[in-house]
Amino acid sequence: MTGMFGIEYRPLSAVLLPIIVAFLILLSNKRPNLRESWTLLGSVLLFLTVSSMSPIVLAEGPIQWTWFNLLPNIDFAFNVDAFGLVFATTSSSLWILVSLYSIGYMRSLKEHAQTRYYFCFALALLGAIGIALSSNLVTMFVFYEILTLSTYPLVAHEESPEAISAGHKYLAYLLGGGVFFLIGILMTYLLVGTTDFNAHGILSPALGPASKLTLQVVFFCFLLGFAKAAWMPVHSWLPSAMIAPTPVSALLHAVAVVKAGVFGVIRIVCYIYGIDLMQELGLGLALASIAAFTIVVANLYAIGQDNLKRMLAYSTINQLSFILIAVALLSPMAVAGAMLHITFHGFMKITLFLCAGAITAISGKKAISEFKGLGRAMPITMTAFLIGAFGMFGAPPLAGFISKWHVVLGAVQSGQLVFLTIILIGSILDVVYFCPVIINTFFGKMPETETLKGDLEEKVEVYSEKVERLETKRPIYYFMIIPLAITAVFSIIFCILPNTFSIYDLVQMAVKDIFGGM
Amino acid sequence: MNPGQNDIIILMVVAPLFASIIVPIVGWRAKKLCYSLTILAVLISLFSSLITAKTVMNHGPVQYYLGGWKPPWGIEFYIDHLNAFIAVVVTFISFLGVIFSKTNVENDLPNKEGAFYSLFLLLITGLLGIVLTGDMFNLFVFLEVASLSSYALIAMGEKGAMYASFRYLLIGTVGASWYMLGVGYLYIVTGSLNMANLSELLPALYQSKTILVGFAFILFGVGIKMALFPLHAWLPDAYTYAPSAVSAMVAPLMTKVMIYVVIRVIFTVFQPEFTVDMIQATSILSWFGVLAILFGGIMALSQTDFKRMLCYIIVGEIGYIVGGVGIANATALKGAIFHILNDALMMVCLFFVAGMVMYRKKGHRISDFKGIFREMPFAAIIFTVGALAVIGVPPTGGFFSKWYLLLGGIEAKHWGFVVALLISTLINVALFARVFDKGLYVHGHGSDHSSESTDHSSGTLVQKTPLSMWIPAVIVILAILLAGIFNQAILKNIVQFAVPSGL
Repeated sequence: MTGMFGIEYRPLSAVLLPIIVAFLILLSNKRPNLRESWTLLGSVLLFLTVSSMSPIVLAEGPIQWTWFNLLPNIDFAFNVDAFGLVFATTSSSLWILVSLYSIGYMRSLKEHAQTRYYFCFALALLGAIGIALSSNLVTMFVFYEILTLSTYPLVAHEESPEAISAGHKYLAYLLGGGVFFLIGILMTYLLVGTTDFNAHGILSPALGPASKLTLQVVFFCFLLGFAKAAWMPVHSWLPSAMIAPTPVSALLHAVAVVKAGVFGVIRIVCYIYGIDLMQELGLGLALASIAAFTIVVANLYAIGQDNLKRMLAYSTINQLSFILIAVALLSPMAVAGAMLHITFHGFMKITLFLCAGAITAISGKKAISEFKGLGRAMPITMTAFLIGAFGMFGAPPLAGFISKWHVVLGAVQSGQLVFLTIILIGSILDVVYFCPVIINTFFGKMPETETLKGDLEEKVEVYSEKVERLETKRPIYYFMIIPLAITAVFSIIFCILPNTFSIYDLVQMAVKDIFGGM
Repeated sequence: MNPGQNDIIILMVVAPLFASIIVPIVGWRAKKLCYSLTILAVLISLFSSLITAKTVMNHGPVQYYLGGWKPPWGIEFYIDHLNAFIAVVVTFISFLGVIFSKTNVENDLPNKEGAFYSLFLLLITGLLGIVLTGDMFNLFVFLEVASLSSYALIAMGEKGAMYASFRYLLIGTVGASWYMLGVGYLYIVTGSLNMANLSELLPALYQSKTILVGFAFILFGVGIKMALFPLHAWLPDAYTYAPSAVSAMVAPLMTKVMIYVVIRVIFTVFQPEFTVDMIQATSILSWFGVLAILFGGIMALSQTDFKRMLCYIIVGEIGYIVGGVGIANATALKGAIFHILNDALMMVCLFFVAGMVMYRKKGHRISDFKGIFREMPFAAIIFTVGALAVIGVPPTGGFFSKWYLLLGGIEAKHWGFVVALLISTLINVALFARVFDKGLYVHGHGSDHSSESTDHSSGTLVQKTPLSMWIPAVIVILAILLAGIFNQAILKNIVQFAVPSGL
């Protein structure tokens, strides 16, 4: 194909789509149905554009597209490689489901400023897709900042003093991190004169002229720059950001934003430093130690939480560090596991968040201790939740099993048995903090009568024998239930057919580029 | 080069100068004409500056001898890449400023159209004269033209403006006198006032104490005029109380033009061997830059008035540019010169926002911003673009000048400057987040009902923001974005050559 729809223009159209959608949303401010159609249409088109690139990339290698020259030797350019597509496919496919879900959630709760919400959401997707497709650090930085800034109004959406202060914390951590990211970019540029990603790393020629210490410091600048990966101690913005509406927490704080963080770390580790240089500088061990610490501590925090969304936030922190530890093992299997987990954890965690949101929107409950008997009132939701939770442990037949399996094999491959132990301890702790939710919902009994909050203030008689099916009470609720059922089903499909959306092939290809073989 | 060939250069200064005489006369009979005449004059200036810049880019530096008298006795206009670039910045910003001034003058300064536009044009004449001239004394003359007209313009502002203007007058006159004294010292020793001639005569005299004192006096005088910390005290008051249209134009331009003078004096009139190597004036300057950045940032944080906050941001931005000049390597200087453009654009953008809010809410305190972005969503976009440029987020121009400044700072291992720049980035985030929150979030601050009812009541009262405010604001945000996206074109074609040789 040639012309505007030619292959070389696909990366550009993938980036332009969310911008166009964002402005269409702004223009159809007064007509909610039209506005939401733009979001849905845009998300479907974006997914099609992104997924249409994967067969081409698998067959012919990366698609490159250079827009204009930004700085000497640095172009504003896209380079769609296998790894970038993994992240882009994940974000864009989940955007469709979350858009549907948003309609249900925002309308059930009659939220204010919905145009701003959808506008910022589209811009955030622009940031995520741009990060996935960019071919060098400066282009990535542009989209990294877009992602941070566009999600700020979403975090502060509620506009209460707590929400605004959570927003400020969010900005402080992420833009503060951005400053360190910028230092890292500048140093890379000064050392080697380029910032293009390369599967073998670009910084190794710098080792002679610059000392080991310089490169190690630069690495920590990058790591601080990716505060979005929420490793401890730069994690605390994530639990605070849970004050945002649930679809935001679901797509942005379980997938787009935080995965952009770990995606960036993998880019730095494999594509800027390169595996050999990482080993020579001993940075793998350092990163693995940070991640190991985070896994254990985040799990302990999660155990103590009564607010479901906060618990899920700590669970996300722990799972992100699981990805980091996998990368830090620097063995092919482990890196493959890390890349797979970006997608798989995305689908499983979004299921959990969507369930949490549905519970809050439909029954008005937020605390785990109030969940008694919900398993009967909302069976689909709670089954999906169960699937997501089992996925977090890594139990078959769920997607989490595949990625955890790879990482465990990778740990054995690299001989890092200490970290293998940490990963296993982490999995056990995962079970521990999900227990109260599961026990409460499925084995607890709902109190005899109770006032349901949500949008309808009414008394509902709830008996333990004859339970009212809350989740199908109003048609608008289907907008929430269907997406979360779909993501739950996908969590299973990914285990049975890991190559759905060509994810597995893409990961294999990326690992082959980096290591020369699995 | 044949002097007659470049008559277009002098048009840049003559057009606003003559218009400033005609405008008050016309203003007696037809007040409406003042505005159009002013726009016409500035437009001529803008075109002539663009043509001059084109000529310079194609054929190298051009000269114009006033009255045909050859230097070193006559006065010459000497235009190389540096001042061709600055002249375009000045005329462009002035042009936008004049368009923007319409509503402000009609509403706040009734029956003063003639005087206002006459002074406005004189100010532009002065600023352009400073930029174009190749003569040290002539520069002083234009400096006084620009300063005196700006004192008068500032005094037209709201309550407190008179006092602020008088204070500015006193301090500014002292600054100009220091400059004058310095030039006198140079004249005593060399017998010349022409910049090109001076730069040939001075190297033989670099050991002379008189030269050193003259240099110090000039720098001190210009330092006052450009509000370099700790000589900045006059600036916040003066620009806060000035009429919106005046602060929108004077604040971005006056200080930038003075920085141009510093670059001229340090790198053209004197040579880098003297200023950088012998007396290390640049190294001292760079540390003043660092202090200015930090001080400006901290003071800006403590302000409750939006315009005042912007004034302290300007103090900090001057620190950026002076720091870049002080680092004195090619990369940093490139960043500094490019930042003159970017800073002028982003400051004019934010002062436009201040003007719009002032027009709507009759105040420019941050508390007056409450809910303003709900009422005027496009003002939110303009504000956001301006704020992002100040913070230095790509793809706005502000990122790229900051990139070169940081790169230059790291190359020179001037860690103080690098750290100060990064800290100021974070401070800027805090500054703008505060205003942004005030403007956008209305729900949390009181009960929902009260805020909605105030929304409705104010929605019926306010007038629509006029087109004469929107157009320049939209042009300026486009310019900010284009300056970022096409930064390589700007840097490679003009800024690169503006960096003084010998660095």
